[in-house]
Amino acid sequence: MQRASARLGFRPDPVAREARRAPVGQGFRRDAGWWALILPAVLLMTVFYLAPMVQVLAISLTEPQPGLGNYERLFTSESVQRVIGTTLRICVTTTVVALLLGYVLAYKITLSTPGVRRWWVLAVLVPLWISVLVRAFAWVTLLRRQGLVNETLMAGGLITEPLPLVWNEFGIVIGMVHYMVPYAVLPMLASMGEIDPRLLSAARGLGASRLTVFRRVFLPLSRPGLIAAGVLVFIFSLGFYVTPAILGGGKTLMVAEWIKLQILDLLRWGLGAMMATMLVVAILITLAIFSRMVDLRRIFGAGGTA
Amino acid sequence: MQSFQQDCVELAHEKFRRGEVSRRTLLAGLAALGAAPALEAGDARAQAQRQLVMVNWGGIANDGFGRFYGEPFMAENAGVRVVQDSTGPSAGRIRSMVESGRVTWDLCDSSASSSVVLGRQNLVSRIDYNIVNREHVIGPGFALEYGAAPYSFSSVLCYDSAKFPNGGPTSWADFFDLQRFPGTRLLRRDALATLDAAQMALSKSPQNLYPLDLRACLAKIREIRRNAVFWNSGSESEQFLRTGEAVMGHIWHTRATVLQRETNGRIKFIWNQGLLQAGIFVIPRGNAGGELAQRLLASMLAKPEPQVGLLQFLGNGPTNPAAAARVPAEFKAVNPTDPANAAQQVVLNGVWWGENYQQVNQDYLDIITG
Repeated sequence: MQRASARLGFRPDPVAREARRAPVGQGFRRDAGWWALILPAVLLMTVFYLAPMVQVLAISLTEPQPGLGNYERLFTSESVQRVIGTTLRICVTTTVVALLLGYVLAYKITLSTPGVRRWWVLAVLVPLWISVLVRAFAWVTLLRRQGLVNETLMAGGLITEPLPLVWNEFGIVIGMVHYMVPYAVLPMLASMGEIDPRLLSAARGLGASRLTVFRRVFLPLSRPGLIAAGVLVFIFSLGFYVTPAILGGGKTLMVAEWIKLQILDLLRWGLGAMMATMLVVAILITLAIFSRMVDLRRIFGAGGTA
Repeated sequence: MQSFQQDCVELAHEKFRRGEVSRRTLLAGLAALGAAPALEAGDARAQAQRQLVMVNWGGIANDGFGRFYGEPFMAENAGVRVVQDSTGPSAGRIRSMVESGRVTWDLCDSSASSSVVLGRQNLVSRIDYNIVNREHVIGPGFALEYGAAPYSFSSVLCYDSAKFPNGGPTSWADFFDLQRFPGTRLLRRDALATLDAAQMALSKSPQNLYPLDLRACLAKIREIRRNAVFWNSGSESEQFLRTGEAVMGHIWHTRATVLQRETNGRIKFIWNQGLLQAGIFVIPRGNAGGELAQRLLASMLAKPEPQVGLLQFLGNGPTNPAAAARVPAEFKAVNPTDPANAAQQVVLNGVWWGENYQQVNQDYLDIITG
């Protein structure tokens, strides 16, 4: 009996099968037109994006001598390792802090009433529209020796000597976190918005404390957003250039600026191309790892299959 | 990394905005720097048989090398048109142009060290000293194998005198002495000229400065890096000193001059042990204008008047031996190649730097970012 019904289930009647196949065939023919429309874009990407990338890869393998000499430096050159180490350290710190701040913000926004929520979202978005240069210089004005923060603290008698708030990694992280918080908030907001508030009420009704509700219900449900935000912020941070250059006081060198130095000033294109390739590889690996943990397509806004 | 030339153009625009110079002077000065957009397009260009492209670091106003360097040459050579391009001829850009095989740049505002780096990779032409006259510059450092300099500039010691009531620093030894002169130092984020100062602080005589003892110089930098900030652009260097972030700096004389004037002498600079550098122009290999570029360069070196004009406008020192005497009295004090000032400085060895720049600068960056 069971077997029979299973067989029935797996073998639909011929009419239904035909009906199902027809749209597929037609669909492909219909799609061919759309593919033709996409073709120029694909060609454009190939010529202006993919081809130069391949060229970069080629340079990294052929200069100054053909071979893997440039890649060997990843393991032998202290200078290369230091740049990578610095970049990773700053990026991880930035990601962690931006996620913490962003999570609190997103949580607050999700739980507020719709009217208030609009203002919160606006407050998160406004910094996104301000140039990264302007924001970096604004931080300089605030954090330098004779800046607002130090002057206020000294006037209040809290410190006697200005604190070293800028021209170091501390200053860079402040500037980068400030830039990244909106990028952390938005994916988390989307993900938290999908959490059914009735679940929280139900948990409370079943006797869980507020903390338990958050820890056992809200946090796990918001995890995809948290991971997506982390990936986004981390990848963005890897290529940061302007903020470290302005707030670092010249004492910090991250990968992006290092590549620029090699290519434009030191004329060591092979080395620069190697690092650029590694940067792309690092980003792809990060994406690959995290795409196994969460559905990135959904979080980055492609196809609303929720 | 901002180049000296880029900073000059920026400085000119700042002066213009503050109303210190008229629009006419601004354009004239920018012309001297080669920062002039194709003002003379249209029919004039159509008539010209041959065109030379000068490349500078100019930004929006690209007028100047045209007027002080281009126009005198055009006046003497009918049928030649000198046009300006402000792309910023970094060594990397010159390389990619030469390797692409379509070389549209004829004469590029570069540097001594870059000329050697580019020359070694066969990316720029040798200067033809049958056309360019070595006698038209003040010293051998201004006429190199792969480039020659129609202007000069210097990296000098600049300090906030209010911070040192008992007398300011007088040498690089003082600059590196954090005990006697406490406070944050300001250095360029570039080994060139910086390590030379460190070498003098190590009391090697300025006459025999090269080759630099790299290990010792870098160690000297390591000593002060925790008490130092590093600048990339000229305006940045000015800001660091102006806002009191640093009490003493190793900066371009053009910026030091502005600081000294605008703080009414509170911030001072000294020529002593300054590093005099050549503003070297190079000719990319296979340039469209061919030998004509050599003749343009020769003309730029041969004419002292436009060089003096440039000094008055932006502070770039002339390199023609006849120029210093024609500098008005009030500008002599800020002319790096004035005999009295030049005697106190050391001419930076661009050839040594060209041969060592790539590795040494990397080492330097490793030290300061370590």
